[in-house]
Amino acid sequence: MQTTDFSNPIRQSYKGIIIIFAFNTYNFVRRFFVLFIAFGISLTKKKNFASVTPTVIFISVTGIIIILLILAVLKYLNFKFYLSKDDFHLSTGVINKDNTIISKSKIQNVYIKQNFLQQLINVVSLNIETAGDNKSEISIKALDKPTALQLKKELFNTSEPSATLVTKSEATTVFFKVSLKRLFLEGISQNHLRSFVVIMSFVIGLYYEFKDYFSSLKLRQRVEELGHLDDGNILNIIIVNTIIFLFAILISLLFSVVKTVVTNFNLEVVENQKTIEINKGLFTKVSLSLTPSRIQNIVIKSNRIKRYFDLHTLSVKQAMVNAKQRKNFVIIALEKEQLKHLVDKLLINYTSDVEASKPKAYYKYILALKAFAVVSVINITGLFIFGNMMWLINIALIVCSVLYVSTTYRKAYYKIDDDFITIGSGFIDSTINILEIHKIQAINLKQTIFQKRRKITSLIVHTASKSVKIPYISKTEANLIYDFLLFKVESQNKDWM
Amino acid sequence: MFRNQQVDLHALPMVASVVLKPISKNYFKIIILNKVIIYGVVTCLLIAAKFKIEEEVFQNNFDYIVVVAIIFCLLNFIVGLLSFKKRKYAIRDQDVIYSKGLVVNSITTVPISRIQHIEESRSWLARQLNLATLKIYTAGESGSDLRIDGLPHDEAKQINDFLSTRVNANN
Repeated sequence: MQTTDFSNPIRQSYKGIIIIFAFNTYNFVRRFFVLFIAFGISLTKKKNFASVTPTVIFISVTGIIIILLILAVLKYLNFKFYLSKDDFHLSTGVINKDNTIISKSKIQNVYIKQNFLQQLINVVSLNIETAGDNKSEISIKALDKPTALQLKKELFNTSEPSATLVTKSEATTVFFKVSLKRLFLEGISQNHLRSFVVIMSFVIGLYYEFKDYFSSLKLRQRVEELGHLDDGNILNIIIVNTIIFLFAILISLLFSVVKTVVTNFNLEVVENQKTIEINKGLFTKVSLSLTPSRIQNIVIKSNRIKRYFDLHTLSVKQAMVNAKQRKNFVIIALEKEQLKHLVDKLLINYTSDVEASKPKAYYKYILALKAFAVVSVINITGLFIFGNMMWLINIALIVCSVLYVSTTYRKAYYKIDDDFITIGSGFIDSTINILEIHKIQAINLKQTIFQKRRKITSLIVHTASKSVKIPYISKTEANLIYDFLLFKVESQNKDWM
Repeated sequence: MFRNQQVDLHALPMVASVVLKPISKNYFKIIILNKVIIYGVVTCLLIAAKFKIEEEVFQNNFDYIVVVAIIFCLLNFIVGLLSFKKRKYAIRDQDVIYSKGLVVNSITTVPISRIQHIEESRSWLARQLNLATLKIYTAGESGSDLRIDGLPHDEAKQINDFLSTRVNANN
């Protein structure tokens, strides 16, 4: 393997020109997207728009492309970086020159990414994150992989370069690799409601973008005509609605599966001595590393179907210093044993065999109120659409509400031991939230005026990446926990990062 | 409920027994002023509506609307007054406690070792009344940041100094 000398200013790989060019073009098109559409529509309406001929369009498009290309080359030529003993230097800028110096000890995270285009021309991008605001993040867009890996290593070495490296590479093992079958299962067993919402918002967004275009097509009139045909034929409406409904579910299912497979393709968890590395992605390959000391919260999710296939999802929430910047890393399709191993690795001495406590029965009352609010909103809108049919729908809704209240209450629990808080929750999914007590940032007791008489409060625990709630427990117990947690945080003098 | 009970939970310092100090009474003037502005806007809207909207349903029921508006303002004022009395704070050796809210009462505690930075801000009105606002930032989500309004200026300075030295000593 050839090694690169980073001590002299070097440019990225010459292929970087392509990446910068593509990136600029993408930004350019995105920024003027609406303008293009408007232009296109007005062109189709009138045959010639301010004497625009195909030649003029062709010339202006090539002109823009040439300008973008020149810009890309200039940007590439002016992008130089090198490493000194303790610092990373970067100079950028065509007209405004920027010089960035980052000391190696301040680097929080280095991760390597590869999107589809970068895969085609076989380069990777390297991102350097520092403690500070988002602007201090540095991204080198095109490096070949060996160089990137070498740079990553050198960025993490402040002193004695060779000795630590050897021991590290020895302890590295690939701990977990997902199979395509399990990815498919994971995709199918997902909560499809969420992807349904994503699709809906996408469609609505598209609709608004092309609103004028649609209205010119007189779509509405056609739909209304269709509605008139079916008028009075309830059976037809039901069939049409069921078909639409099934179609929507099918699309959501497909969307979930594709999304899961694409983002998690070849998911791989590599265990280093201290850190854990995750590699995944089909079009955009991501490689990131987790340091246990920087983890703030761990969330484990599963549901009934997933448990049947032994699929568990682990998300890790990391925080960066100072900046309220959060990183959310998700590892899916873990088996129970692997999950346990990972949790043990990330949370030292974690045990789940503490006796669990439940929220007060008052929680059920709150849940019932929530369900009631949702049902009444559905009823008000539903009455206009379905009329008397609503009574039938209400029976289903009531069954759902009862299920919601009982299941959510059954799944809610909390455990507190010497070092950890564990909170279970969820309705369709079963969610377990785990956090280390010494990572708490602030604690909050919340009590409404109605809960005061019943002596019930909720306890909210804030960490640097998430706030979790222990809902509706008795006031005395809440006070005990409150004092206990404060005592733990303040007496231990442990750092939260 | 806790494993490994080597600490006697009841012997721990209790937040519930801390005597919280109410914020400066002068701050109530600022609250009143803010509320008066809102009520003024409501009154203006009502007057404008009286002359602009000519629908009969509206004009016939105008008295009721005025009554509803007055009741709303009164209730708002009473809740404002009562919840003002709930705004209390305390500085302990290891943490800062702030409690507020009448309808939803919340007590937040931020350990001093978790404070990232402190900001003291004074609006024009607060300067006239010799008040200050202390903002205490942690690394957590926005819900974990503290904002104590209506502190007497001297006291805010003292607290700021105390907390700053403690925070710097920790780092």
